[in-house]
Amino acid sequence: MAKSSDLIQGTLDLLILKTVSLGPVHGWAIAKRIQQMSNEVLLVQQGSLYPALHRLEHQGWIQSETRETESGRVAKFYSLTRDGKKQLEKELGQWERLSGAIGLVVKHS
Amino acid sequence: MSPFLRKLRWLINRSAKEAELREELQFHLEEEVEQRTESGQSNRQAGLAARRDFGNVMRVGGETRQQWGWPRAEQFARDAIYGIRQLRRNPGFTAVAIATLALGIGGITAIFSAVDTILIRPLPYTDPDRLVMVWDWEGEKEKASDSRFMPTPAEWVEWRRLNTVFTDLACSQPGDLTISGDGEPEQLPSRKVTWNFWSVLGAPPILGRAFTQEEDENSARVVVISHGLWQRRFGGDPSIIGRKISLNDEPYVVVGVMPSGFYFLPSREIDLWVPASFPPWMRKSLSWHDAQIVARLKPGITLQHAWQSMHALSMQVTAKNFRGPRSIQMFPLRDEITGRTRTALILLISAAAALLLIACVNLANLLLSRSSARNREVAVRAALGAGRGRLVAQFLTECLVLAALGTVAGLILALPAMSFLERLVPQTMGATRLTLDWRVLGFCSAAAIVAAIAFGLAPALRGACLDPQEGLRDGGRGAAGVRSHWFQHSLVVVETALAVVLLTCGGQLLQTFQHLRNTDVGFKSEKLLTFELPMFRYKDFHRRVAYINSLTDSIRTIPGVVNAGAINHIPFTNIATATFYWLEGQPANEIKDQVALMRNVSRDYFTTVGATLLDGKLFTPSDQSSSVPLAIVNESLAARHFRNRSPIGQRFKYGNHGEKGYWYTIVGVVKPIRDAGVLEDMKPTIYRLNEHCDQIGTLDTGIIVRTAVTPSSIVPAVRQAIASLDASQPISRIRTIEEIVDRQLSTPTQSTALLSAFAVLALLLASIGLYGVLSYAVTQRTNEIGVRMALGATSGDILFSFGRQGLLLTLTGLAIGLGLAAIAARWLTVLLYDFQPDFIPTVALVSLILLAVALLACFVPARRASCVDPVVALRSE
Repeated sequence: MAKSSDLIQGTLDLLILKTVSLGPVHGWAIAKRIQQMSNEVLLVQQGSLYPALHRLEHQGWIQSETRETESGRVAKFYSLTRDGKKQLEKELGQWERLSGAIGLVVKHS
Repeated sequence: MSPFLRKLRWLINRSAKEAELREELQFHLEEEVEQRTESGQSNRQAGLAARRDFGNVMRVGGETRQQWGWPRAEQFARDAIYGIRQLRRNPGFTAVAIATLALGIGGITAIFSAVDTILIRPLPYTDPDRLVMVWDWEGEKEKASDSRFMPTPAEWVEWRRLNTVFTDLACSQPGDLTISGDGEPEQLPSRKVTWNFWSVLGAPPILGRAFTQEEDENSARVVVISHGLWQRRFGGDPSIIGRKISLNDEPYVVVGVMPSGFYFLPSREIDLWVPASFPPWMRKSLSWHDAQIVARLKPGITLQHAWQSMHALSMQVTAKNFRGPRSIQMFPLRDEITGRTRTALILLISAAAALLLIACVNLANLLLSRSSARNREVAVRAALGAGRGRLVAQFLTECLVLAALGTVAGLILALPAMSFLERLVPQTMGATRLTLDWRVLGFCSAAAIVAAIAFGLAPALRGACLDPQEGLRDGGRGAAGVRSHWFQHSLVVVETALAVVLLTCGGQLLQTFQHLRNTDVGFKSEKLLTFELPMFRYKDFHRRVAYINSLTDSIRTIPGVVNAGAINHIPFTNIATATFYWLEGQPANEIKDQVALMRNVSRDYFTTVGATLLDGKLFTPSDQSSSVPLAIVNESLAARHFRNRSPIGQRFKYGNHGEKGYWYTIVGVVKPIRDAGVLEDMKPTIYRLNEHCDQIGTLDTGIIVRTAVTPSSIVPAVRQAIASLDASQPISRIRTIEEIVDRQLSTPTQSTALLSAFAVLALLLASIGLYGVLSYAVTQRTNEIGVRMALGATSGDILFSFGRQGLLLTLTGLAIGLGLAAIAARWLTVLLYDFQPDFIPTVALVSLILLAVALLACFVPARRASCVDPVVALRSE
């Protein structure tokens, strides 16, 4: 069920996996973190975020649990599974190859 | 956990999952609000901004939810449930639709089970399509099946030696045997076969072996037994191989057991195969016609090529025969085994397909009418964003639900029909059971799906192409243009035409059946009990004749018995033992292929069966001691030789005895008795008195008893009478002549009954279709009727206008149907029974029935239209 060939979707998956890999985090925080880390360039639409989260969970790359936030509220936290770690490495490798290749092309011309 | 299991778990915990999603999205919003208030926005502003940023919560939820399970499957399930709800809301429509489908699908499923068993399943031989049966043939005659007769073992010897088109040929002869020793003595249907029988068929025994060429040529006492006999009489004991069993009081060693599915001509009932071991004279006689020869075509040889080659060979082999050269004919083995049943089945499955088609057309029509009534619903759905594909999918899903229900009902109908159809299995295949196995079920499901698409597609496409604006503006009054009227009307015409074809074919078949039933079999067939007596214990000719005479005498004394006689082959049961004969003074060049059935009878045979004497006299007691051998011939033989003069007093002899044989004197001519079978042509036959058959004849004897009471009631008394004469005498095949006739007519009986049933159902469906379309039109045009009546039309005018419309459709269908039927009917009866019933009376009757039914179907809705109250109709606007 590898869907990583799709650039856009694959990229969102990569961003989510990377964000989640830094430690358990809930949906809102994922969106915020991506926004902050990309210097407000990447705005993740909720309409894509939640379907993607559920899809990744269904594929077994991330898992969810309910726990309390710092402010004492209950939320659904996502964390990376062992399969997810492998997937993240795979997608990172793909991404580096791809961006490197694009970089080469862009530099030469 | 695999993705599949996770999905399944999510599906099961759906409500928990829903709550979780709601909370998750809620949390997201709250978190956003909180952050915004922290950065200084007011609560209200923050809330609005968060929502605006988030977008449509429902849509996000919906798209997320799609990740959970199988959206397509769920959509299908939803549509199906919706479909069921729709069906439950219209119980009348649902009942008619399911019943219609059940008839269509049940019919074709039942027929298919027979087609599959009889025509499609491979025969129990290796590469059965390469096997052919080879017959002797009177080449000049046109009708192949009537001109063929059994070849001789001598021809088998020569063909085997000289042919270039077959890998091998095997030969088999009749030769029933009686088993005794362990258990009751019983006569078993048996064949004498050449040693290569198994290798030609490519059907080896499952236990032990076939016998060898040496065993065959040395007349070894070895036997291969059927699976049925092995199970029934020997309890399936594997140590049967090598055991000695007693057949006709002689010890035979069992060398092999055949598999349970094995059968071969002439019937499935064969239990024993023993070596043919032709005596030397038989290997040379070209006049001993009692063999069945099966041959395997060499690879690449076509039937046509093989026939040309074998025709030349046969002419060469018989060139020097005193009867002159003769040709051969060959037929594929499958055709021989399925016989007439094949045509009957093709006819029946076509009829069943036509019925299913009518059912589909009918349903399409009903659905079209209903879908117009549902326009508003469809328009609302389309307006709310359902795509065209989505609407078609939903319509088709509803149709599939309907088809599934119809299929279940159809299967319930198919089961009794299948047990009825079992009697259609040709005798050569024996008692075969028809079962609802996976092949039949698979076919049934395929038929149902095809049907669902056939009847669902037109309504679905039309519903989906509807412009939502139109549908909504129309105020739910149902709008259907001229085009759709035209389409629905053509459906009615198609239905009617098909029904007419089925009715006409049914009528033709009924006439044919009547004709077959009324076939003059040559004697009075009711109240005749028959049975057979194996006579291997009476090898001495005079003892045998005396025994038969005292037996018939003692049966005649049983109360309720009118008369009793003996004949070597019970009427209708045997086409074998046609023998060559030679009339006194006949020149050698006139006697080519001149054979007649040979029957040996007791003195009272003709009076017992009630034969009609046409010339001369029947046998009398004094004939029994006549020193001159006597014979009675049938009219067919008399007509062959004595067209304008009486055959009485003429003499003939049997050919293969040359100059030494008796000269038989003809003393009487009887009306032909259909000895070869009810559906077979009458063959020239010679009857001789038992007393005069010491030179040539067969051992076994059939007894035929005319009773005044129910034939089966005297069976115990007959058994007792036989036992009192000879306690060890086995009796076999106790049955009445009427049972034999019924069995032989079972294919025409069953196929006529089924086709008639199909025809009546087709008529019913077609009239429902007509009724449906008209009453729909009345409902739809209530307004118009109101206006017309308000403008002065009388109720008679309205009645006439609707009635005319219905009748016009009927007449169009009738005309098209009769055209098709004229082609179909001619084809079917000739193919089936070589009989051409009158077409005109059938057509007249069918037209009358159809018009009567159609009038009724038109009248009811037209009458309703004419009773419309204009005030009410206009107010309903």
